[in-house]
Amino acid sequence: MKSMEDLERLKEETLQDIQLRTSSGSPRIVVGMGTCGIAAGARETMLAIIDELKVRRKFDVAITETGCVGLCAKEPIVEVQIPGQPKVVYGNVDPSRGRQIVVSHIVNHKPIDQWILNVEDNS
Amino acid sequence: MDRIIDLSLHLLDLLQNSAHAGARNITVSVIEDQEADLLQIAVSDDGKGMNSSEQARVLDPFYTSSNSKKVGLGLPLVAQAAAMAGGSVSIDSNESGGTQVSVSYKLSHPDRQPLGDISATLVSFVAGNPLIDVVLEYKGPEGVFHLDTRQIRTEGEGQLAFIFKFEEKLRGGLSLAGYRPDRGGLFHEINGRS
Repeated sequence: MKSMEDLERLKEETLQDIQLRTSSGSPRIVVGMGTCGIAAGARETMLAIIDELKVRRKFDVAITETGCVGLCAKEPIVEVQIPGQPKVVYGNVDPSRGRQIVVSHIVNHKPIDQWILNVEDNS
Repeated sequence: MDRIIDLSLHLLDLLQNSAHAGARNITVSVIEDQEADLLQIAVSDDGKGMNSSEQARVLDPFYTSSNSKKVGLGLPLVAQAAAMAGGSVSIDSNESGGTQVSVSYKLSHPDRQPLGDISATLVSFVAGNPLIDVVLEYKGPEGVFHLDTRQIRTEGEGQLAFIFKFEEKLRGGLSLAGYRPDRGGLFHEINGRS
C-alpha cells in the first residue's frame, strides 16, 4: 500500500513528465525516412526544411526522423510538434510544402489544414 | 517504388537500416576505382547485428524485422540495382553487434545507376540522427576525401549550426576529390540527357 507521501511524489513526477512532453523545449520536426519515404522524395523534403529554417533564421528547432509508419502512399510524411500544442501529421510533403510548413506552422504557429493527415492531442 | 533511381538514395536506405539497428558510429566508404572498373559502396556500423538466419533472409522482399509491415524492400532494391550493373551485395554481420554491407558495381556498366547526391544523403541522415557519428571515406578520380562528424562538432553548438557546417565541408571536399553526382552508366546518361 502506498502512503500519501508516495502518491504525492508520483503526482509530482507525472506532472513534470507531462510538462516535458508538451510545453517545454523547442519545436520538433520529424520526417519519415523509411524506404517508402526515401522513394517518395523524403531526402529532398528534409533538405528543403533545413534550408528554410536557415533562411528564416529559426535555429531552435529539433529535427529527427522515423521509419515507415505504414502509410507509404502518403509519404513523405512530416510531423510537427510545437510545445503545448497538439502534434500535427502532414502527408505528401514535397520540398515546396515542407518550406511552407516551416513558415506557416513553425514560424507563425498556423498549421496548414489542407495537408493534415492527423492531429494528436496528447496534452 | 521506382524512384530510387540513384546510388546515393540506396546509400540513404542502408544508413537507415544502421540507425534502426541502434548504431552510434557508422563508416561509409565510396570508392571509384577506374583501373579495376569497380565502384564500391560500403556501410559499416556498430548496431545490434544479425544472426545467421536473419542474414540469410534480408534479401527476401517479404522478410522484415518490423512488426508493423509485411515487406522489407530496402536491401532487395539495393541488390537488384547491383545485379543489373554487374555487381553484388555482401553482408557481414555479427550477432553480438556490428554489420557491414558492401555493394559493388561495374563502374562502366551501361545500366549502372548514377551516384547521385551523396552530400544530400549524408546531410539529411545526419540531420535526422543527431546522436549518430558518421565517418565518410571517399576515393575519387582526383583524390581522396575523409570526413568525421566527431572532428567537426564543437561544444555547445546547436543542431542546425552543426548541419550547415557539415554540409559545407562535405560538398567542398567531395568536389575537390573529383566527385560528380551525375556520372553513371551509358543508359542513365542518355536518359538524363533526353
